[in-house]
Amino acid sequence: MSEFAIETEDLNVYYGKNHVIKNMNLKIPKNTVFAIMGPSGCGKSTLLRSFNRLLDLNKIARVQGSVKLFGEEIYSNNTDSIVIRKDVGMVFQYPNPFPHLTIYDNIAIGLKMNKLVKDKNEMDSRIEWSLKKAGLWDEVKDRLEDYPSNLSGGQKQRLVIARAIAMKPKVILMDEPTANIDPVGSKKIEDLIFELKKDYTVVLVTHTPAQAARVSDYVAFIYMGELVETGKTGIIFTSPKSKTTEKYLMGELV
Amino acid sequence: MREKFEMDMENLKRNVEKMANLVLSMLDDSVKSLKNLDTKLADEVISRKGKLAEMDESIEENALRMVALYQPMAKDLRTIAAVLKMITYLYRIGRYGKDIAGITKALEGKQHIAKLVEIPYMANKVGEMIRDVINAFIIEDISQLNDFRERDDELDSLRYSIFRECLTYMMEDPRNITQCSHYIMVAKYLERCGDHACKIAEKIYYMVTGKRIEIK
Repeated sequence: MSEFAIETEDLNVYYGKNHVIKNMNLKIPKNTVFAIMGPSGCGKSTLLRSFNRLLDLNKIARVQGSVKLFGEEIYSNNTDSIVIRKDVGMVFQYPNPFPHLTIYDNIAIGLKMNKLVKDKNEMDSRIEWSLKKAGLWDEVKDRLEDYPSNLSGGQKQRLVIARAIAMKPKVILMDEPTANIDPVGSKKIEDLIFELKKDYTVVLVTHTPAQAARVSDYVAFIYMGELVETGKTGIIFTSPKSKTTEKYLMGELV
Repeated sequence: MREKFEMDMENLKRNVEKMANLVLSMLDDSVKSLKNLDTKLADEVISRKGKLAEMDESIEENALRMVALYQPMAKDLRTIAAVLKMITYLYRIGRYGKDIAGITKALEGKQHIAKLVEIPYMANKVGEMIRDVINAFIIEDISQLNDFRERDDELDSLRYSIFRECLTYMMEDPRNITQCSHYIMVAKYLERCGDHACKIAEKIYYMVTGKRIEIK
């Protein structure tokens, strides 16, 4: 099996005539937190969505090139995008638990639909396990029948992470997961991301370089759809090779 | 935000320059006091040590405050890291100035064994290195640091030549030993000051380019 969770080769993404991702060659090592950073509109989220074929849902989006998940091409004709998304969980900027389902059912639904558990006992234990992994168990264990509308933003986001983890994915994609969450909630999620990399590969899109610096092992800097620089976080944030990266980190690039 | 940061950074760099000027004045005046056996000037140099410590502390505090407030990255971070190291090297150079002034005082009432030529010449070379390094820091231009290895070698040779000369005086007459030991110490201090200037040059090189070099 490949040593990389995700590899892209000459990846190009177009929205109609708009060339959004340009010749992207990226390698994301397994069991790491990989941050993708760049200014707004540089193509970070699009790139992330190409990793689980979420762009298939966008009618004007066109993907060229290759994306390999653990060495397997995901854009070949015989790949089922539903299967891919089971291996690649996703967390969005706005916490989006199903509002009409209880905390318990929010996690249970994916497991039920995919028939991943055989009985109620296994379901209970898988839900407890994923809520514990997401660091939410202690806060919700007595109110599993409550609705997510009664949770705080940070709790909702951790519930969504628990929902993703419950499917036991290999990769978790996070698109600015703390953008709408207060600092305390953000800190909990950042701690959680750090914990998650023991079992998963986490790909994190962020527009705050400080967050990438705090939580990631590797970082890629994207500017206007192109990969400017990628490497170990410690090196990129102290002595980047590219002048563009340097300017971005110093807040001189708008 | 960037503007505020840049203003703070400009101030920080100006304060390092001010500290360097104080250090240079301590070094230059201490050697002048030694050359002319001027204890009044030596006292003046020694009295500047309080100001030196004060600047070291206040620049460190300002640099730490900037790290806390702005979480600088890339070159901004390298610049602040360079400042934090530079002030320690500058502080040490200033203290050597104070030590040389102390030697002037120890020689009170005595006369030099021979005309003091090499020590002021060496001090002059060290002063030039410090001036160049601070200038490189302010204008962020590393081209003037290229010959630092040769300049450091020259200082080593000068120290050795002072040592050899003192040995002959000491062998000639053991009563010269105390005074010559002082000269040897001064030469050693000046050589160390040169080493500190080289370390500052390394830090500035890293600050500007993000790459490390070793000058020795």
